[in-house]
Amino acid sequence: MTAALKYEWRRITTLRSTWWISGGAVMAAVSLTFLVAMALRLGSGDLADETTSRSDSLIVLEMMTTQFSNFDPMFYLVAYIVAIVGIFSWGHEYRHGMIRATLTALPQRGAVWTSKYVVAAAWVTVVVIATCVVSLLVATLWFAGLGLHYDLPALLAAIGRRVVYTVLLTWVVMSLTILFRNQTFALVAMYLWPMAIETLIKGIFIVPGLSDHRELTRFLPFNAGGRIMQREPSADSVFGDPLNAVGGFLVFGTFAAALMLLAYYLFEKRDA
Amino acid sequence: MAVIEARGLSKSYGGKPAVTQLSFDVRPGTVTGFLGPNGSGKSTTMRLMLGLDRGEGTCTFDGRPFTTIQQPMRHVGALLEAKPFHPTRTARNHLRMLAAANDIPDGRVDEVLGMVGLSDVAGKKPGTFSLGMGQRLGLAAALLGNPHTLILDEPANGLDPQGIRWMRDLLKALASEGRSVFVSSHLLSEMALMADELVVIGRGRMIANGPVAEFTKRSGLNHVLVRTPQAHDLAALVGQRLAGRGSVTAGGEGELSIVGLTAAEVGDLAFENRIRVHELVTREASLEDAFLEITGGAQEFQAHAPGPVGWQQPGPQQGGPGWGGPPAGPPGSQQGPPVGPPPGAAYGPPPGGPWGPPPGGPGPYGPPAQQGPPPGWQPPPEPPYGAPGPGSDPAADQQRDQQRDLHRDQHGDENGGRG
Repeated sequence: MTAALKYEWRRITTLRSTWWISGGAVMAAVSLTFLVAMALRLGSGDLADETTSRSDSLIVLEMMTTQFSNFDPMFYLVAYIVAIVGIFSWGHEYRHGMIRATLTALPQRGAVWTSKYVVAAAWVTVVVIATCVVSLLVATLWFAGLGLHYDLPALLAAIGRRVVYTVLLTWVVMSLTILFRNQTFALVAMYLWPMAIETLIKGIFIVPGLSDHRELTRFLPFNAGGRIMQREPSADSVFGDPLNAVGGFLVFGTFAAALMLLAYYLFEKRDA
Repeated sequence: MAVIEARGLSKSYGGKPAVTQLSFDVRPGTVTGFLGPNGSGKSTTMRLMLGLDRGEGTCTFDGRPFTTIQQPMRHVGALLEAKPFHPTRTARNHLRMLAAANDIPDGRVDEVLGMVGLSDVAGKKPGTFSLGMGQRLGLAAALLGNPHTLILDEPANGLDPQGIRWMRDLLKALASEGRSVFVSSHLLSEMALMADELVVIGRGRMIANGPVAEFTKRSGLNHVLVRTPQAHDLAALVGQRLAGRGSVTAGGEGELSIVGLTAAEVGDLAFENRIRVHELVTREASLEDAFLEITGGAQEFQAHAPGPVGWQQPGPQQGGPGWGGPPAGPPGSQQGPPVGPPPGAAYGPPPGGPWGPPPGGPGPYGPPAQQGPPPGWQPPPEPPYGAPGPGSDPAADQQRDQQRDLHRDQHGDENGGRG
């Protein structure tokens, strides 16, 4: 297993795409935070004399740190960029015929499979944490003297929830790449599924006759996944409507686990 | 040093068998050539050997399946793809990545890059590499762990003549160090110079397995050519001597082609019977001849190109004696002429001989009819050469018998294996 991890680490770090995707994710997110924080600060001069409540401070700082992903239906931008690293970790194997070179260097398929998921998870975790920390620093610089209350444990928990969501999203799209052995398909699915297909399904459940069952749409995987991060005061139970963070994690996590198991089965069974 | 033992390798795609019950050994200290027509299952077999494709049968390297070997690149080096790398990862990083998986020091990377002549482009992206450079990089990867076994699928593809010679010398040198080298190639002339042993397959089934020398020696294309003004008399005498254990075929201008007797025996026979002989020569089949002869009916894909617009099939006045045989190479090489032979050219033995015009008339394009399976031909099940099907011609039967004998001599069992 150590050999497989070494291989995957060397593989991921010797690709330019890994660096520009990760760098791009950080830059895009921090730039967004910078611009919004700057606009807020420059447009709200009188805020300097007021003291912001603890809860409002947390909402504002979490918003700045995580690029508005604490509000439904905002998507967590960083996750949807950096997960491409996960898609490429399998996609390049099939697109460039690398899978045979990989499996002649590491014939234990279970180790190859595991190392890819572990290394990709570690990589996106680092990118998410780096993005959040830098974004928070940028926001702090702009908001200096505004009387915001910095609840660091709560902010760390917010960052942790982004890490969980991003890792699960990355694993989902990695699994889709294995299932279809096509990185383009996985890439399209990653954006189309949550942003179009689930939105469409939710729209269908507005139709009279189906609207009585609209609460079922809370179990749509990406919709549920979003609940891991989003602040929803009415989400007071695990599987209530809407799901709370734990419920969202269980639904999206189960979805990811099911896809991963299927991907593992097919990876073991198929020809390389 | 490892012995490769393949037993009962089989693989089907959508119910269509690609490889059927292949069993063979590759011994240390030898280059074993893996031959077969396009689509015969060579690459599939290699992938099965390495556990890359899922199929039936086993393949062990010193008793261990490839998938159970730790740090496999230190034991088995493989080259299966023409360009098995990411186009933007530098050649050095590609090898460093593979080295990391097998605890091979990075210093070895520059060593093998030097061995294959890629030191100057070590920091370049291989996406811009030519096919030959890609093959060299693939070979560098195969050699990275200094393995005792090499499995190489068409490693000479894309190499220039110098590169091909370099590859040949390298593989022979590696084998001489006691390594097992299993290599497939379409370059039969190269294989003749390089290989010690052969595994020949057709349509996924074993056709022949044994030393190269035996393979060509047993070819039905080995014959003695005699030119005598008393061809009729000598043919009769030879026919009596052969007593059905060979053949004698009349050619043009007093030529006889004799299978089943040595040149010395023919010479003695002529001398004892006061028959003047003007020419007496042994024609030995090349590896290419023997390969084409033995795999003629085992081609998966055969060209049947139509003639160009306005083309006229040459009439008898255009074709010389024996037209319909191959335009170049020895008789029976079964390479269809791309165009009809020039008027008057004497190609091969005349019609009626064993290599005469194919049934159905001489086709100007594509392989002659005899290139396809003979009537009743079936892919040999077990034993590997199979029993002749109904309607098969005696020459083909004899040829198959010889092949079967060769195989049995070498292996002593019916399944192509050595134990």
